[in-house]
Parts: sequence; structure tokens; C-alpha cells
Amino acid sequence: MTKRQSRPVLPVLGELILSGGRPVLAILASLVVSSLLILASGANPFRAYAAMLDGAVGSAAALANTGVRAAPLLLGGLGVALGFKAGLLNVGVEGQIYAGGAAAAAIGITPLPVPAWLHIFLAIVAGFLGGALWGLIPAYLKAFRGVSEIVISLMMNYVGIQFASLLVHEPSPLALEGAFYPQSPLILSSARLPILIRGTSLHAGLPLGLLIAVILHLALRYTPFGFRTRITGENPEAGRYAGVNIRAQIMLVFLLSAGLGGLAGTGEVLGLKLALYDYFSGGLGYDGIAVALMANGNPLAVILTALFFGLLRAGAGKMQVAVGIETPIAQVIQALAVLFVIAIGFAEQVRITRREGTEMVAEEAPAHGPS
Amino acid sequence: MDLPNMVLDWLAATIRLSAPLMLAGAGGLFTERTGIFNIGIEGMMLCGTMAAVAASLATGNLLIATLFAMFVGGLLALVHAYLTVTRRADQIVAGAAINLFALGITNLLNTPLYRAYEYRPRAPLYPVLAPEALQELPFIGPILFDQPVIVWVAFILPFVAAWFLYRTTWGLNIRAVGDHPHAVATAGLSVFRLKYAGVIISGLSAGLGGAALALADLGLFAPNMTAGRGFAVLAAFVVGKWNPIYVAAACILFGAADALQLRAQTYGLAIPYQIFVMLPYLLTIAALAGLVGRTVGPKTVGKPYDPQIV
Repeated sequence: MTKRQSRPVLPVLGELILSGGRPVLAILASLVVSSLLILASGANPFRAYAAMLDGAVGSAAALANTGVRAAPLLLGGLGVALGFKAGLLNVGVEGQIYAGGAAAAAIGITPLPVPAWLHIFLAIVAGFLGGALWGLIPAYLKAFRGVSEIVISLMMNYVGIQFASLLVHEPSPLALEGAFYPQSPLILSSARLPILIRGTSLHAGLPLGLLIAVILHLALRYTPFGFRTRITGENPEAGRYAGVNIRAQIMLVFLLSAGLGGLAGTGEVLGLKLALYDYFSGGLGYDGIAVALMANGNPLAVILTALFFGLLRAGAGKMQVAVGIETPIAQVIQALAVLFVIAIGFAEQVRITRREGTEMVAEEAPAHGPS
Repeated sequence: MDLPNMVLDWLAATIRLSAPLMLAGAGGLFTERTGIFNIGIEGMMLCGTMAAVAASLATGNLLIATLFAMFVGGLLALVHAYLTVTRRADQIVAGAAINLFALGITNLLNTPLYRAYEYRPRAPLYPVLAPEALQELPFIGPILFDQPVIVWVAFILPFVAAWFLYRTTWGLNIRAVGDHPHAVATAGLSVFRLKYAGVIISGLSAGLGGAALALADLGLFAPNMTAGRGFAVLAAFVVGKWNPIYVAAACILFGAADALQLRAQTYGLAIPYQIFVMLPYLLTIAALAGLVGRTVGPKTVGKPYDPQIV
């Protein structure tokens, strides 16, 4: 039997399990390696993981905590995943989180003569636009000047962090006078994201992310926008013949991706922190890259990986109380899982689309940056 | 503080704060020249700081502390090389994963590092070698001679790197492999071995940079104490156009901005400190956008090498 004949025999479900198998394998491997660290610290790994699970899903409050932790990872991860589809690597999510959070806070602390639903809507839109604005420079340089979006967006992160820091220090109009830790005034109650479960801090950021994941999944699969995005990533030359404006598509996708990064910051500011604080993200943007990578850029899979990373963080506190291992173990497990996924080779698809993307631009614009 | 003393204090701090960047930059250049982008330099530096403090506390021997920091940086670089050269994984993604791991593991080990002590002791620091007479020279004394020995190493290393890259056959191979890997392979050299060497050198030097950051004047480890200095090194490659001497000059410029940033409030400067922190990154964006001259890096950086695909 030839390969061609045997291929359809493999059911779709089987392929799904196969493609999902690698991240699961990577997660298992990371848990095994981390258990060595737990053993070295003199604790029982089984008890440690059981405590972690209990702290993440053992009660309504625990589940809410997992959701709260997952929300920014989901939104940021979706942004990165969308970029993957067009052969773009948005490593600027961290900066976009600060830009989006700052824009949302600016609207959220301003009393507006509008009903509450409109106030919160405007604040969310501002957050999205703030993030997108932070993506404008890398998007433009990538689409029209052939400069790699990676280094530019990476550098924009530090500009964004410091820009938000400027905003919460006096004499900025956003700074709260005499604050103990630099921050903006509190978000007005009309601009706060609704709390889903009373007595917890589970805010509407998570359902917003779930909704966007489903929309992205459908849009990428069934709409002309999805076709243009995928062809920009997979075969821009063919796309150009098919009449796709590749430059415009790169701009659009990168701005949307950056906007989603902005929404991740918006959720944190309007839903959880309730003010713009100095250094409020602390690396969520980089975790978003990890989330998207574990999901191989699939928006629906991003839901699962974001929830898993959220679970690790939510459960780490209980683990510390139960067996005394410090909470950064969650970061270690997460990073090891990503390293194993890369080592297993799950990332190869992403790489191939990106390589073709870069070659396209290199041909187009010889005055490339580090090409 | 009066103006001359302020300038003196600022210049001396500039030299001291440039040293970690210059050390990491001098070796980091090798990985980029072989065509492997290493954003993991940040994480390798961070692990280097912790390793240096741990070894310095444990042994009190600065040589051992330095070597241990380099070893840890090199070990992480070996992982990066395996992922990017052997497995041909995306270089940015692999580097980002290494940064996440470095941040996590150093945060995790931060408490155990100091568990044996009631308070946080300062680890033994790099000694100041210059004789007192030289240190007391007006102006140049504090700037050049009242500096720990690692700062001198930092100012020598870029010249050594330049000599290796431009005056040795091996350096020629390193430069060639980033621009034309297939030509290097045709010449009968191992592309993989050269790329591994480049990445590992960047890890060793990042660890060394971390040791300088921790043991030049602080003697302490603090979570995420590199705070983006590894990324500033990447920025210096761009601004310094991948030439060891220019890169070192860019590192001094960034060190000067860093020193000013820390002093903006004490000096009563009208410009907020955040502007100085942003400066290196803004400069890099401007350089890449073509606003300040043309910047062309190694041709194949970021692209995996596949012997099958020409």
C-alpha cells in the first residue's frame, strides 16, 4: 500500500491526538524534571502536585483564580498565535500590554457623561487601540521597509514599560499624587470589568478571550481575511498572484495582534488591578509567546495552554503552603514545557512559515536590516 | 554635589556599568556572526549573576566564581545551540524559552541561595588592583584606576574579539558561516561546529557579564537583576553594526545612559529617568529603521541552516 492511499485512513481525530500529543508529552517531561527539583528541596513531588491541583481547581475560588491568571495569557497568546498564521513573530506583547493598559486606564479614570456600558466599552476599545498603536512601528517597518518585526517589537517592550512608568510618576496627569507605589487613580466603577463570580476576582477578561479565540478560529478558517492571512504566512508569492495585498495584510495582522496584546493589559487594569501600576505586567507578554507556541498557533488550543499555565500559577501558592517549595516553580515548569516542545520539534511548522516570510521580504527590499 | 564632582561620579559609574554589557557584547557578537540570533543572552547573564554570587559566597575565590558563572552561561548556550542548530528550531522562540527558564530558576533558587544566612551577606567582590597613588590621581584616578579588575578585562576583551574575528583564520570562518554557510560547507568546514562554537562563546561571555554585574560593586543577587541588560547588548550589536569595537562603544554609550538614569533624581535633572532607560532601545529602533545610517547584519542571522536547502 502506498503512502497516498494510507493517508485518508488516518482519521481526523487521530491526527488531532497526534498533534496534541507532543505538547502533552512535553508537559509530562517538564513535570518529571521539575519533580527532581522538588525532590532536591526535600519534598514529595506527588504531594506537591496534588496540592497544586487542589489550589487550582479544588474549589470555586481556586477555579476563579486559575481563570484570572489565564485571562491575560489567553489574550496575549491569541495575539501571538494570530501573528504566527501570517508568518509574523510578535515578541512585543509585553510593551503592548503596557500601552493598552495605559490607554484603558486613561479612559477608565476619566468621568465621562455616558452610561456605564458605554464607558467600559470605550475603555476596552482604547486598550485595544493603545496596543495596536504600539505595534504600528514594527508593522510599518516590516510591511513597507522589510525590517524584521522581531528586533523592533522586542525593543518596543522596554520603551513601553518605561512609557507607562512615566505616566504613573508625577507630574503626569495619570499619576496619583502622593501614592506609596507609583500608580494612577483607581478606575471608576463605571469602567471596571464585571466580576463573574461574587467574592472572587474572576472578571470578564476571560470570557472576552474565549469569545475572541472562537472568532479568530472561525475567521482564519472560513473568511477571506483568514485566507489572506494564511497565504501571507505560507506562500506570499502565490498570494500576490492571487491578488492579495501582502503588505496591507502584514500591517493588518500585526496591528490586530498588537491590539490583542493591548487587550491583555486592558483586562489586567480594568478587571484585576483596578489602576495602572508601575511594572504591573512583570513578563505576562513573554508568557503569551510561550502559550501560543505550546498551542502551535491554533486559537482554540491557545485556550487550553493558557488555562494550563493559569493552573500552574494559581496552584503554586497552595503548593508552597503544603510542601514549602517556592511559587516560581510554576515559571520553571512552564519554561521547561516550552523547551521540551521546541526540542521535540513541534515548533517546526511555525519556523517554516516564518522562513518563507523572511525570504519574501528579503527579495522585495534589499535594504533589509539584519537579513 | 558640585558640577565637576557630579561629572566625575557619572563618568566613573559609566565605566563600571558599561563593563557587564561590554563583556557580554564581545562574545555575543560571535553567535550573531555565525548566523544564530541569541536573545537568551538576557537569561544567560541572569543565571551568571546568581552563579557568580553563589560561588563567591561559597568559596570566596573570585576566579572560581567567574569560571562558574561562565560555565552556567555556556551550559544554557549549549541548550540554545542544540535547539537552534541541531533541531533547527526558531531562534527567537528558543531564546525566549531560555529567558523564561532563567527567570524562573533564579527566582526559585533565590531563597535557597541565602538560606544559610540570617541576613543577606555581601559576596567577596573583584579587587581593585591599581596602586593607591594611581587611584588618587585627579580626575583619571577615580575613572580609570579606582575600578575593579573585571572592568579592565571588559575594556580589553573587545580588542581580543576584534583580533580573533578579523586577524585569524578561525575568525574568518566564523564571519563567513553567518553570511555564506554553504560556501563554508563546500570549503570542507563544519558549519555545525562553527555555529555551536559561536553560540557557546556568547553564553560564556554572557555569564562573565553577569559575574561583572553582580561582583563589581554589589556582591548581591536580586531577582531579575539584569533587568533587560541582555537586550541592551542585542541593541548594541545593531547600533555598533556588528563590529566588536563599535559594539563596545555602543555599550559605553548605553552604560552612560544607565549611569545617568540612576542619578537623574539625585542630580535634580529636569528629564525623567525613564527617558534615559528608553534611550538604547529608541536608538536601536532608529538604527534599524534606517534613520541613522544603514545597518546591515550577518546575512543569515535568524535562519536555520539546512545542508539540504541551498
